[in-house]
Amino acid sequence: MDGFTYVDIFATKGIEYLLVISGLLFFAYFWRFLSRPAVAVYREYANVFPAISDWFHLPLEGMYFHQGHSWAKPEGDNVVRVGIDDFAQKLVGKIDAIKLPQVGSQVSQGEKAWSLQVGSKSIDMLSPVDGKILDINESLLNSPESIGKDPYGQSWLMKVQAPRVSANLKNLLSGGLARKWMEEVREKLLARMNYNLGAVSQDGGVPVDGIAKNIDRERWDEIVREFLLVS
Amino acid sequence: MNRTTTAVQISSLKDFLVFMRSELKPKGKILTPFNVITGSVILLGAVLILYRFFMGLGSVVHSSSEYPWGIWIGFIVMVGVAFAGGAYVTAFIVYVLRGEKYHSIVRMAVLNGFLAYVFYAGAILLDLGRWWNIANPLIGNRFGVNSVLFLVAWHFLLYMLAQLVEISPAFAEWLGLKKARKFLASLTLGAVIAGVTLSTLHQSGLGALFLMAKWKIHPLWYTEFIPLLFFVSSIYAGLSVVIFIGTVSFRVFEKDRIDEEYRRSWDDIIIDLGNACAITMFVYFFLQILVLVHGKHWSLLNTGMGYWYLTELIGLLLIPGFLFSWGVKSGNPAPIRIAAVLTMIGVIINRVDYSIIAYKWYLPLSERYIPSWMEVVITLAIVFTMVWVFIWIVNRVPILKKPPQWAIEQEQEEESVERAVALGLQLGLTMADGGSSIDKEKK
Amino acid sequence: MGIDRRTFLKCLGTGVALAAPGCFSLPGKLEAAGVAANKEFMGVLVDTTRCVGCRSCELACAEAHNLPVPDVGDASAFEKVRDTSEKQWTLVNRYKTEKGEIFAKKQCMHCNQPGCVAACPVKAMEKREEGPVTWDTNCMGCRYCMVSCPFDIPKFEHHSAAPKLQKCNLCWERLQKGEKPACVEACPAEALTFGARRNLIEEANRRIYKNSGEYASHIYGEHEAGGTGYLYLSSVPFEQIGFRTDLGTTAYPEYTKGFLYSVPVILLLWPAFLSGVSAITKRKDKVRSEEGGKR
Ligand code: SF4
Ligand code: SF4
Repeated sequence: MDGFTYVDIFATKGIEYLLVISGLLFFAYFWRFLSRPAVAVYREYANVFPAISDWFHLPLEGMYFHQGHSWAKPEGDNVVRVGIDDFAQKLVGKIDAIKLPQVGSQVSQGEKAWSLQVGSKSIDMLSPVDGKILDINESLLNSPESIGKDPYGQSWLMKVQAPRVSANLKNLLSGGLARKWMEEVREKLLARMNYNLGAVSQDGGVPVDGIAKNIDRERWDEIVREFLLVS
Repeated sequence: MNRTTTAVQISSLKDFLVFMRSELKPKGKILTPFNVITGSVILLGAVLILYRFFMGLGSVVHSSSEYPWGIWIGFIVMVGVAFAGGAYVTAFIVYVLRGEKYHSIVRMAVLNGFLAYVFYAGAILLDLGRWWNIANPLIGNRFGVNSVLFLVAWHFLLYMLAQLVEISPAFAEWLGLKKARKFLASLTLGAVIAGVTLSTLHQSGLGALFLMAKWKIHPLWYTEFIPLLFFVSSIYAGLSVVIFIGTVSFRVFEKDRIDEEYRRSWDDIIIDLGNACAITMFVYFFLQILVLVHGKHWSLLNTGMGYWYLTELIGLLLIPGFLFSWGVKSGNPAPIRIAAVLTMIGVIINRVDYSIIAYKWYLPLSERYIPSWMEVVITLAIVFTMVWVFIWIVNRVPILKKPPQWAIEQEQEEESVERAVALGLQLGLTMADGGSSIDKEKK
Repeated sequence: MGIDRRTFLKCLGTGVALAAPGCFSLPGKLEAAGVAANKEFMGVLVDTTRCVGCRSCELACAEAHNLPVPDVGDASAFEKVRDTSEKQWTLVNRYKTEKGEIFAKKQCMHCNQPGCVAACPVKAMEKREEGPVTWDTNCMGCRYCMVSCPFDIPKFEHHSAAPKLQKCNLCWERLQKGEKPACVEACPAEALTFGARRNLIEEANRRIYKNSGEYASHIYGEHEAGGTGYLYLSSVPFEQIGFRTDLGTTAYPEYTKGFLYSVPVILLLWPAFLSGVSAITKRKDKVRSEEGGKR
């Protein structure tokens, strides 16, 4: 710059900006590259979690839920059909036998009504309504493991003659409340799982031995009882 | 109930048009005094703007070759951009520092920033003599890479895009576009990082514009540190504006536009914002003193311009700074609100000083630039239009109220996935052993 | 450009050499190969001691650039100090000084490192290698050049719907044809000298030495604002004839250099820093929720 010829003091600016832009693009790529494992794992988890949400899907049409994970479906004339929800059976895993009360006997809301036999352990469950048992699902007794196929339909447990049905239903959850409750259950489960996703197979299916056993193989029954409110 | 929480389902263009038609209708009373006054200013402004385009800039503005830039640049652009600073500061706090507490105000701040930029870009269009060439620095009808204004133009454009991305999930929620929302929300962090970077350069760039006006700006204002001063002051300017707009919004908007929880958390947030303002103003004050001493200009303090400088420094910087600290210490939002308004005035004066008041301060009053009434009307029209659009959007889009249920669920899902990823990685991941147990089951 | 630079400068050199003997006594210097090959700046030396205030240059400029023709016979024009405008690229002012009345021409200084060029976001203002600073129609009309010019020269046509930036272009269109600037050619008093900047400085120094006492020993424009293409000689200190003497010797673009150079640096550092901060806060978040999970 002698003052006699033109020297562009910003001659390299354009190249510098291009450099910086490519530097930034490269940086973004580099950053992703360094956190790659996380990204890969993220993808797997991202696949799994929506599937998990499916577990908590509730058919809300005409269904009432007890917080011990049983359901009741009024069918008119004070007759109520009763079953266990999808989550309960997934939690417990392969059920070896179901012990249902005798036809004609009484059950009452919130009291132990039937039990699930898993290996050497027996898990009690609570009845959603008061009343006299009219009928039990015989086919289920013969093949208890099929309960997972259609927990809200084919795989009902029993029919109950419930004289106080409307009062009973008031104590149960339906609609938005049921959904909210299920959300809490989900949060609780995630916390219990401690992110031990070994409990979940990649397609979101459940290991045949149930979620609870995958959380803690020794004390799985305690976990189950906690969720089913029978501990 | 408000309609936006009842999920809108838009599956076809027709649905969209029907939906937009219903949303375009004004909500609430039309003929309020506010609407009538601002509306007539906007109408008059629109006429004047047309006049300006046909008759040339000089027919509307007080033209003078001594003052290349009037209030459109000196006030709308300079002040507007400083006031939009709240957007990058809050976005930085919420998305980079993860200050979840401030989530309730981030959309308001970003929306305000975005609109500010859109409207001030409009003001630039008005001010450009050869406005049809506005895209030249962008499309490369000569890249003036040596120019500060070139950088400012690019940052303007890019930052506007970044802000659009930051605010877009709110619009996706409004329109009920679940997939789009998920995608847009995933871009937020990137947009915020880009936005903070661009803002840093853009705010300081506006100051750097004046670096070559060396002898034209009074020595008390001209320093080689103008870019730094502009950047630091944009932080407290932006936050003050957030305090101001927040306070006004939480009062004037009808109940169903605002989330109760947000409203309740506001008094708490205002104090934290005041705290941040007090600290940045403290720093800024010492920067100013440092610059003053560095320039050895203290003898100028005892002149007319010197008194003006002291007014700005003490009355509109120290005093509001003190009010901020007082409000923070006593947990009382009232002085903070007053301080915010004082600070805003201070920033307006500071920016106008650079382009108008301290610019060629030595000219006699008769040769100084005094805006014409038409310039003022157009300026007000632009500001009012922005306020209208802001209100229109807040009345429809979840800005001050919680996002619809599905959006919250989407967010939680993302979060639990992220949390799971993070924990899974830390626990040495059960993937290997869990995976094998899955395999076993499958066999 | 229709004509290639080499031939252009050759004719330029010859043109000047022909005119040279009358102007200054360094014949032959201008057509020296060095000047042409290195594309040195051309400029104009204004010797205010010779200017008679006839305003022929104003007239010639207006004619050469299709500007409104000024009434140069009207002596009242000198009553106040005028500024160049969008209608007048150059003009002559009269100053009352300790040595009587002095006339000084005013126009764009054609800085070596022009503020206006560094300011222009579309390179509409351009410094030609041959010296002139010219304006082009891709201009946006942002008027940043007006803010950044140390001599306050560019003028904007405020009252036009398609306004132009008006300022002296050192008759760039004439230079390309090998002609001298119109004002230089029109000057009857040989107050204006066109030539290579290097030679003009030599010539100016020679005049100062030779006529000691007649000139203030300063060439205005040699170092002002980094040096300018227009150079001035005066018999009185320059502030008396309306020149700013507080401009300093730094070229104006240097003032923005620091900022412009920090831009790429910040562009690189900031995103990396922010990503890092966000990664750290994320990890903190994770630790917190992990503790929450175990509880
Ligand atoms: S005097 Fe002004 S307009 Fe002329 S070249 Fe220098 S900076 Fe540009
Ligand atoms: S007004 Fe035109 S020539 Fe001047 S800086 Fe702006 S674009 Fe460049």
